[in-house]
Amino acid sequence: MTDATDATPSVDVGQLLARADAGEPLLLLDVRNEDEFETWRLEAQHPLGVLHIPYFNFLENPEACIARLPRDREIVVLCAQGGSSAMVVDMLGEAGVPARNVTGGMVAYGEYLQAVPVPVDGAGWQMWQVNRRGKGCLSYVVRAGREAIVVDPSRNAAWYERFVQALGARLVHVLDTHVHADHLSGGPLLAAGAGVSYSVDAGADFELRHAVQPLADGQELRLGDGADTVRVRVMATPGHTPGSTSYLVGHRHLLTGDTLFLGSVGRPDLGGHVHEWGQILFHTLRDRFGALPPDTLVLPAHYAGLAEIGSDGVVARRLDQLRRVLPELQLKDEGTFVEAMRAALKSPPPAYAEIIRANLAPTPIDPDRATELELGKNQCAAATISAPS
Amino acid sequence: MERKQLDVRGLKCPVPIVRAKKEIDVMKAGDLLEVFATDPGSVSDFQGWVKTSKLAALREQRTETDPAGKAIYVHVLERLA
Repeated sequence: MTDATDATPSVDVGQLLARADAGEPLLLLDVRNEDEFETWRLEAQHPLGVLHIPYFNFLENPEACIARLPRDREIVVLCAQGGSSAMVVDMLGEAGVPARNVTGGMVAYGEYLQAVPVPVDGAGWQMWQVNRRGKGCLSYVVRAGREAIVVDPSRNAAWYERFVQALGARLVHVLDTHVHADHLSGGPLLAAGAGVSYSVDAGADFELRHAVQPLADGQELRLGDGADTVRVRVMATPGHTPGSTSYLVGHRHLLTGDTLFLGSVGRPDLGGHVHEWGQILFHTLRDRFGALPPDTLVLPAHYAGLAEIGSDGVVARRLDQLRRVLPELQLKDEGTFVEAMRAALKSPPPAYAEIIRANLAPTPIDPDRATELELGKNQCAAATISAPS
Repeated sequence: MERKQLDVRGLKCPVPIVRAKKEIDVMKAGDLLEVFATDPGSVSDFQGWVKTSKLAALREQRTETDPAGKAIYVHVLERLA
């Protein structure tokens, strides 16, 4: 009863997003309960027509529910995990209304990864931004010659293994920009599977319980072979967490983690030290990022809305543009900055303490629990503050 | 007045609601159905379902923990009319 039979017409999340982004007129029939529907929605770059009718309404009153459905567009049915929506698709089929089930539902949406090439200057190396659409999480694959690194991988380590393999490259190092609080890192598992080093700076406040290769501020990792090489410079950029690290790939591609986003800066409150971490963040933004060239391309670990995705599909902005538009980067003194951070405080991400614990632990947690912990969008950015007057 | 139990542990939606509805449909007014589920989504699903059902009311929801530490969501339903 729960699983779609082979006969249940279906569409996977990747196909659905591609079609919806292209502006195809689809009706998304969301059959989750009210709470789940209110908390977290499927979003596409082109606004989707959405109708919300919980699946149990179809059980109680199928005719009335079916009568509400438009017939001028293809109907795709979505639920939390794909079981209830498959039942509704089958009911609709019996009533002569064609529809498709979104395979795996919101769980599959939350785990779907989309690799987008990032334009780079010159030859010899490539970068992909891996967009986890359902969460607004971004990770990166950098390849030079036959070597590749992955930065901030999501939990699905096997996806990155396959991606790097398909490039004809081998993984040589896995990096995290910081101990994540909103999603589970695939870093330790990915590194262990490939037998390569994993690096993350947990800082003094977090006790990391798996092996890492420590990296020093200013250290350079050399990736690639022969003429195809690129250097990755390690930059200590504390504030969002005390160990937060940015990676400058080549001359201008800056992986900022949760330190700097396109619409705001990283929230400095998740360790319970908004004052101290806020001061540190101010100096990182002013002194470290302030010293970088204006054409530095900021590539963050999260985005807040689909509008941040550029026409080339990449979430990135030049540092000089961010300096112009982000009020957080225009505040001139530490005290004002910390006050602004404090005033903009919002509730922490759900389950963040447990997620941090899991990311510090030596073994991955139960997959069902992992799915539960990761439900919903990321909330790692400081709430947007208004422009300084 | 009868009190019946329904074990849907390990089963995902829509099974807990589908099975509970099947039971409720053949029960008598005043009978109670105690549903044991492990799907956390069942908590809101049962709350939502009883709003549309003319035959079921939700009398109690509680969370228990099994010996392995896993949460069990218990829903107590009453057959109306």
